[in-house]
Amino acid sequence: MVFNTLTFVVFFALVLAIHALPLGWTTRKINLLIASYLFYAAWNPPFILLLWISTIVDWYAAQGLVKAERPAARRAWMLLSVVANLGMLLYFKYGAFLLQNFAALMAALGIPYHPPTVDIVLPVGISFYTFATMSYTLDIYLRRALPARNFLDYALFVTFFPHLVAGPIMRPTELVPQFEIPRRASARQLCFGLGLMTVGLFNKVVLADTFLSGAAEQVFDRGKLPGMLDAWAGTLAFSGQIFCDFAGYSTTAIGAALCLGFAMPDNFRFPYAAIGFSDFWRRWHITLSAWLRDYLYIPLGGNRYGAARTNVALMTTMLLGGLWHGANWTFVVWGGLHGTYLVAERAIRSRFSGVRPGPLALVAIGLLTYALVDVTWVFFRAKDFTTAWHVITGMFGGNGGAKPILSTVFLVSVATIVPSIVGVHWYMRNRTLESVLARAPLPLIAVLWGLLAFAIVIAQGTGSSFIYFQF
Amino acid sequence: MPSTTTSAERLTASDRPGVAQPVPERHVPNRAWPRVLLGAVIVAATLIGAWEWHWRAYGAVPGILDNEGLWAMQRRRIDTGEGSRTVLIGSSRTFFDVQLPVWEKLSGQRPIQLGLIGTSPISVLEDLAEDPKFTGQLLIGVAPDLFFSGYQFKAGMPRYFHRESPSQRVGQYLSMRFVEPYVAFLDGDYALFTVIERQAWPERPGRPTHLHVRKLSVTEADRNNYMWSKVETDPEYAALARKIWAQNFGGPAPTTAEIAAHHAAVDKEIDRAAAAVAKLRARGVAVIFVREPSAGDYLADEDKGFPRATSWEPLLAKTGAPGIHFQDYPEMQHYDIPEWSHLSHASALQYTTDLYRILERDHPLPDGRRW
Repeated sequence: MVFNTLTFVVFFALVLAIHALPLGWTTRKINLLIASYLFYAAWNPPFILLLWISTIVDWYAAQGLVKAERPAARRAWMLLSVVANLGMLLYFKYGAFLLQNFAALMAALGIPYHPPTVDIVLPVGISFYTFATMSYTLDIYLRRALPARNFLDYALFVTFFPHLVAGPIMRPTELVPQFEIPRRASARQLCFGLGLMTVGLFNKVVLADTFLSGAAEQVFDRGKLPGMLDAWAGTLAFSGQIFCDFAGYSTTAIGAALCLGFAMPDNFRFPYAAIGFSDFWRRWHITLSAWLRDYLYIPLGGNRYGAARTNVALMTTMLLGGLWHGANWTFVVWGGLHGTYLVAERAIRSRFSGVRPGPLALVAIGLLTYALVDVTWVFFRAKDFTTAWHVITGMFGGNGGAKPILSTVFLVSVATIVPSIVGVHWYMRNRTLESVLARAPLPLIAVLWGLLAFAIVIAQGTGSSFIYFQF
Repeated sequence: MPSTTTSAERLTASDRPGVAQPVPERHVPNRAWPRVLLGAVIVAATLIGAWEWHWRAYGAVPGILDNEGLWAMQRRRIDTGEGSRTVLIGSSRTFFDVQLPVWEKLSGQRPIQLGLIGTSPISVLEDLAEDPKFTGQLLIGVAPDLFFSGYQFKAGMPRYFHRESPSQRVGQYLSMRFVEPYVAFLDGDYALFTVIERQAWPERPGRPTHLHVRKLSVTEADRNNYMWSKVETDPEYAALARKIWAQNFGGPAPTTAEIAAHHAAVDKEIDRAAAAVAKLRARGVAVIFVREPSAGDYLADEDKGFPRATSWEPLLAKTGAPGIHFQDYPEMQHYDIPEWSHLSHASALQYTTDLYRILERDHPLPDGRRW
């Protein structure tokens, strides 16, 4: 089930109504758990089994971890969780990819090998809920957290529908304590949550799907060679689309949770105003980058063992982070570019540690950061390297004589919306939405909210999936 | 160079490396949010009402959206007990020209309408050939420029049907039951971006302008579909529709290589159809091809690009199935075709009667079966 559908509107209204009934807290949690399973089953019922496997394996692995005394036993329970979760991910997400690459390798070595044709359905949200359940066992293994006191709270942590299929990737210590105390949203929380959901859906349905996806699709998917204007317009369109789509999802999820009385963490903090790439990764998909930092980068040594090892840890983390997004080498290149940027930034910081850039210089660095991030988006969006190369060469003037692709209306949409997004990010880079809304005139907020809702309705979205559902 | 600091207003996981993350902060500003929500609802409702009023004044009427979910609902009937019915597949001419209530009156049963606008029916034909539950009668509409080119505006419909999720089915039911019958602006032509796109934007030099097909019909819940009255009563709107079709006519004379490629493409589609028809006839499905009426410059372009002798005749020969070509029947020469491609509603009612009579007279089915 996706947020931008009539089915979800009705589902959510029912969940809110049932959650508001004067029932015991355990009963209300059970209702939320059933609703969350229904939410997932509405996509494909048999795949509930995978959710159960992940839930149960990690519950018992965590119990084993707590009871085990010897380090080897603790490590074994931890590895059980990691292997089970990553095993599911490897099979469903990377099975066909591994087979294709193995066949290509055999062909390169002159060994005839014809892989079977496999059609493995990617379970929606698997990349997210496996990471959430792994963080449960890993935090217990690292002695940062205690197991949940009861299975219901833990199961609800795994399956809680606002974050189930595309994050924010929550840690057990963020959500399980919230299930231990009875809670109900106040009228203010309910209304504010609905407001956040409106903002999120506007980002997704109106900005991403209605105004920006078309330009990206024409440049990246039609097989035409783009000139400089089209290449930049298509890439900028995608940069706006991916932000509005994913941040829109996260904002909607945060709003939905708030309507039920729960708090979820920020997942984006105006990333297109980032100054440098460390800053970018503190602002973009925050819960994923923090997860990779805590469970991959730091265990690999982090920045504790000198520059060389730090750079290796950074590149490894970013390459695997790229691969997490999808079974395609283009995602690995995307991650590798970000890793390269981060390594280069560390070297520059080290070289110029005494330099204090002024405000204009910081803005220039920020805009350069955004431009370089856009180059990486080409690899993220392109289905293959040929397309990526065509767009990159177009961006730097290499496709002389290319025929125009985008019509004026697409160019105007991109030229209006994308700079506005970047401008809003710069205004908001050290603010929160809540702090701005705390001071804005109430009639203005009401009118803008109404306009956003109106735009969502007349955009007539088709209920298309969020981009990150495919990850 | 110092590392940049991030927002001090609220910390996130990015600010707390290597520790268990605490319960997030999510403070709601202390303002009268219920009143603000009420204001927003009033604003939104007023604007939506005005938008609806505007499009009704333009001539829009509520109708069922012809989307994947609606198509899948009809396709599902074959697999849920109605596999012995008459099924209609084809492009928009099949969709517009065959009127289900008329057919039902004549034959005693309402056919299942699976025609798809702007789309060759061969993928649907192949899907039905693979479905053992389909054992009825199949009418295949042939619009030459789509059938013999394999063009698919609505590609992937069979795939959508086979993969439709429970959530999508529920959404389709909710929309059809509670929204679509009451809202006139729910049509692709009145969507926000479409309205903006169709303003008089200056075109980019070197980029040819291409007008997209406008709303031409109204659809009912079981996919009975007929021409929108505006096409019949507004001469400017009908002229625009003809202008849109004419964008695809003509062009520079093809090279020898292009002609060879064209013939190869036609042969390929005929081979696909033949293979599927063979499977269907082997299990007793009655199959007939129908070349629906067209007129004016559209007919001229079809005759030029897909002459009967190199498309329609080989199709019937290779499939071994019978066919009804509108040009062979005097009763099919007097219809009103406002934009050269689809019959007016009144003519579609007459055409359905004429077509059914021809089917029963010239292609009767054995064993008491009826089309």
